[in-house]
Amino acid sequence: MFGFLRKLWGTIRRPSVHYSLGGLTMGGFIMGVIFWGGFNTALELTNTETFCTGCHEMRDNVFAELKTTIHYSNRSGVRATCPDCHVPHEWTPKIARKMQASKEVWGKIFGTINTREKFLERRLDLAQHEWARLKANDSLECRNCHSAESMDITRQSPRAADFHERLLFTGEKTCIDCHKGIAHELPNMKEAMLEGSVVLSSAQAAASDDLHDYLNQHAQP
Amino acid sequence: MTRNVWITAAVISFAGAAFAQEHVATLRSGTPLADNAEPPAIAKVVNSDLRQVRNYPEQPPLIPHKIDGYQIDLNANQCMQCHSRTAVEVSQAPMISITHFMSRDNQFLASVTPRRYFCNQCHVVQVEARALVENGFVDIDSVLEYVEQNQGSSD
Amino acid sequence: MPNLSRRDVIKAQAVAAAAAAAGLPIPAAAQNLVTDAQLTDLKWSKAPCRFCGTGCSIMVATKAGRVVASHGDAEAEVNRGLNCVKGYFLSKIMYGQDRLTQPLLRKKDGVFHKDGAFEPVSWDEAFDIMAEKWKATLKEKGPKGIGMFGSGQWTVWEGYAASKLMKAGFRSNNIDPNARHCMASAVVGFMRTFGIDEPMGCYDDFENADAFVLWGSNMAEMHPILWTRIADRRFGHPHVQVAVLSTFTHRSFDLADIPAIFEPQTDLAILNYIANYIIENDAVNKDFVAKHVNFKKGAQDIGYGLRPENPLQQAAANPDSGKSDPITFEEFAEFVKPYTLDKAHEMSGVPKEALEKIAKLYADPDTKVMSLWTMGVNQHTRGVWVNNMIYNLHLLTGKISTPGNSPFSLTGQPSACGTAREVGTFSHRLPADMVVNNPEHRKKAEKIWKLPEGGVPDWVGAHAVKQNRDLKDGNINCYWVQVNNNMQAAPNMMEEGLPGYRNPDNFIVVSDAYPTVTAEAADLILPAAMWVEKEGAYGNAERRTQFWHQLVDAPGESKSDLWQLVEFSKRFTTDEVWPAELLDANPDYKGKTLYEVLYANGKVDSYPLDQTSDDYANHEAEDFGFYIQKGLFEEYAEFGRGKAHDLAPFDTYHEVRGLRWPVVDGKETKWRFKEGSDPYVTAGSDFEFYGHKDGKAIIFALPFEPAPEQPDDEYPFWLATGRVLEHWHSGSMTQRVPELHKAIPDALVYMHPDDAEAMGVRRGSSVKVESRRGHILSRVETRGRNKPPKGLIFVPWFDARQLINKVTLDATDPLSKQTDFKKCAVKVVPVGA
Repeated sequence: MFGFLRKLWGTIRRPSVHYSLGGLTMGGFIMGVIFWGGFNTALELTNTETFCTGCHEMRDNVFAELKTTIHYSNRSGVRATCPDCHVPHEWTPKIARKMQASKEVWGKIFGTINTREKFLERRLDLAQHEWARLKANDSLECRNCHSAESMDITRQSPRAADFHERLLFTGEKTCIDCHKGIAHELPNMKEAMLEGSVVLSSAQAAASDDLHDYLNQHAQP
Repeated sequence: MTRNVWITAAVISFAGAAFAQEHVATLRSGTPLADNAEPPAIAKVVNSDLRQVRNYPEQPPLIPHKIDGYQIDLNANQCMQCHSRTAVEVSQAPMISITHFMSRDNQFLASVTPRRYFCNQCHVVQVEARALVENGFVDIDSVLEYVEQNQGSSD
Repeated sequence: MPNLSRRDVIKAQAVAAAAAAAGLPIPAAAQNLVTDAQLTDLKWSKAPCRFCGTGCSIMVATKAGRVVASHGDAEAEVNRGLNCVKGYFLSKIMYGQDRLTQPLLRKKDGVFHKDGAFEPVSWDEAFDIMAEKWKATLKEKGPKGIGMFGSGQWTVWEGYAASKLMKAGFRSNNIDPNARHCMASAVVGFMRTFGIDEPMGCYDDFENADAFVLWGSNMAEMHPILWTRIADRRFGHPHVQVAVLSTFTHRSFDLADIPAIFEPQTDLAILNYIANYIIENDAVNKDFVAKHVNFKKGAQDIGYGLRPENPLQQAAANPDSGKSDPITFEEFAEFVKPYTLDKAHEMSGVPKEALEKIAKLYADPDTKVMSLWTMGVNQHTRGVWVNNMIYNLHLLTGKISTPGNSPFSLTGQPSACGTAREVGTFSHRLPADMVVNNPEHRKKAEKIWKLPEGGVPDWVGAHAVKQNRDLKDGNINCYWVQVNNNMQAAPNMMEEGLPGYRNPDNFIVVSDAYPTVTAEAADLILPAAMWVEKEGAYGNAERRTQFWHQLVDAPGESKSDLWQLVEFSKRFTTDEVWPAELLDANPDYKGKTLYEVLYANGKVDSYPLDQTSDDYANHEAEDFGFYIQKGLFEEYAEFGRGKAHDLAPFDTYHEVRGLRWPVVDGKETKWRFKEGSDPYVTAGSDFEFYGHKDGKAIIFALPFEPAPEQPDDEYPFWLATGRVLEHWHSGSMTQRVPELHKAIPDALVYMHPDDAEAMGVRRGSSVKVESRRGHILSRVETRGRNKPPKGLIFVPWFDARQLINKVTLDATDPLSKQTDFKKCAVKVVPVGA
């Protein structure tokens, strides 16, 4: 085995006898483009809902839950797919997130959440990761669609408008502080509180639907 | 005057219709029993945030907003995120009443009694639908006003 | 009677108050508080809730003859101050603006006509035509030609008076309550396993159990106040576990530690698997089983209660057979052995982990288990079997009759126990668990009823489903329906119910407070007083008998069902309705009215008017001139006293928040069959199931058998029907309360979003739900409170505009004759699109 590797290394470092430098450079460039493109295409393929829900852990648990929420079904039909909320749109954070996600593949292979029971046991952990990520990036993926600047609070219900004016616009809270459980079921919140990932007194705005009513109106021609 | 006559006539003809009728099942609005009327569209939930007058003080208040997707289960009670004792300063929502802290033995607990955990057993939203039949319940203020005016015995 | 004149004043006030209030603005804005005690004092009185079988106690406030408020009774053990949303709106149920206030008869050209339109008539005219029709039918066809359909919503004495009128007066056992749709399988389950009806445990079990297992029940919506007691126990004591088994996900799953969705009908397989698990894991309480249990193997392949000519019925080897043969414990163990974990999982679709967890709850000797069930089990073509098989688990483990160890059959109606079961208003029953085809039992009834020998007929009458078939076939021609809405509630409306009622040979009378779907199908409608417009008694699911007074007057000419029954009895003499032989042998009875024989019989009329309360009116007592409710109750109580059904003296019940029978020496009984808590248990026996002569309960070996109609290519969905929290049964009261109507105005077709997508419909789409028997139009709901698995739809039946029972199948349990409203095959077709 070791001998084979040494031989291979020898072949690679020996200058080419048959091909010109230009040809090699050109070939390398073309291959690079192909690989790079292929890499990105492959990456984009993993960035679709079809890919995410390709495994039953996602399809039967989180995706099934999403289906009954406003983020899946609503008036205008503008909807969020898994990566919209769970994968950053900028390249560097996206790659970082994808590297994190390799752990999920690991989990898939070893069946960490391959039954409903196992998934429910891990739900708190899984949720806490996402809450922490969104808290740290100031709810970046929410804000990709829901910009505070574009919110017309006169089109919201009074209590939603009040919350946003007092808490969101002042920067006192970020979206995820109040809108936990908006697309998937909540984990055990008592445990979450004990672990400090939820603060008891945080007012969780109940206004998710109003928000979407507004956006949907906006989206209609 | 003319208007009154018309109203009287309308009332009489309505009463006449009520006196001999084939379809009495009010809730079916005249659809014969063997037929099926077009089902009404799923009505929108009232989301005005405006509190309604209670019929009597003991009546649980109606929910004046949407509760789509609000989770009330072993894991979480999303209603309490605005209506709990500690949440109301931020939420400015009405705090759950003190009865909600009472145990089966009428003792006040440190926290909300689990008996009252499932809010929607008593509190319901209202949709934008019209009553199928008017209800003639009159509240105590109207009855009192009558009693006061008539100085009758009260019972 | 000084009482009356004061009451007249109140009555006048009430009428004026209502009229005035209609035009009055609600006193708003700046106004001084009313503080005059004479004005602000409300008269608060207790009454049990009008709705489900939980039996919550309500405090009702009246002022000037009107109900002005109500709330949960803090002193009542059942609910301790709580109500569900329906209960909180009880104040409004009597005030729907379409209350019936006078009798309505179908007429053409001034006379009765089957195809006429409804016109108001006097009570005299109403009873005249009724009596004419009844007499003609009795003459032509005898007692089998008439029928009555009552209710678990009758008060105790109404049911008793009705049963007496039919069985002793008209000598017809064609009387059945709508409890047949509701509790019949539970009753036969009790009678088979224990030989005596109704739960051994009580609601105190909720505060003592370590685990709750819901078999097909959605208590969160159907028994909300009992659900508060489970929630209290579960959250307050973290070791407690809740298992919820159902054919679709519903609100009770919100509290489920162990959720389990099973394929319809496979509860039979799951129950046998658990029995097998208990045996194989050495969890049988051998001492208990040896001393207190017998084993029997029941007849199999027993049919589906369909019409005899139905092919399924003809294919059955032992149609309607409740036979059973003694077997040994070893034979029982061998019988359930094939029901392995693998098999139960394969048949039911429930994950093995969940099945094992549930089995362990029963098997663990340190876990006190309360099993709870209602319609999922009872409305089942093998409903009696499922009842028996749940008892099997509790008997194998000895988890019974002690605090927290409780197989608990919940009831649907407020007095399904008190009136339908205890009074025995079924077509085969007499009071106190006695039956009409037992000569000893008839003899006892005849003695208490002061009837001649042979007075009570010995044939089993037509049950609910058969009554509709008999109406259609013209076998029953005169039919009286009280306190229920059976056109909406009974199965297969288009093929059986509606053609039966509209059969030109038939005369149908419906007594109700409101013009229901059933009233519209009738020929004569009688306006009924309801709930606190009459003095009443209900018996709840934990054997608790509760009384209330008449608190307000009924509107217009409406009268209680009791008044109607007793008044009607005055129209008949024994010579007109009894056979000549019976009268010749007992000439004393000749020429008497049924009223004299049944009610003015020296017993029922032995309590004078001055024993009625000074504080409350009593329109029936005032009309008949004696305290009729007390007389009926005391005569009825004779049946059960000393027979393990003891009731306390009448007046006691007006003072207390109900008592659980048997009430012996003034003491109620919480746990039956257990020494120390049940006075009927022989000293030294520890447990005694005294319903059977040898004091032993029976474990039944019963197999899985399939449902009569299953989804196929043409009709690919299971249809389950049921209730919703905000509406009571057919909605005739709750749909008239605007707040409840607006909470859930329409029935919807609850279905899986993938099923909807596959057929190109979506939430809100208009669809036709169609079976081989009929169809309705409704709308799709994919996001609602009920979340069916793929292949099953749920449609509630409260909505008078969407009569889902046009679609259901009239297959029944062959033993209990109770319809399976939870399973038939339908297709869902998009409309328009």
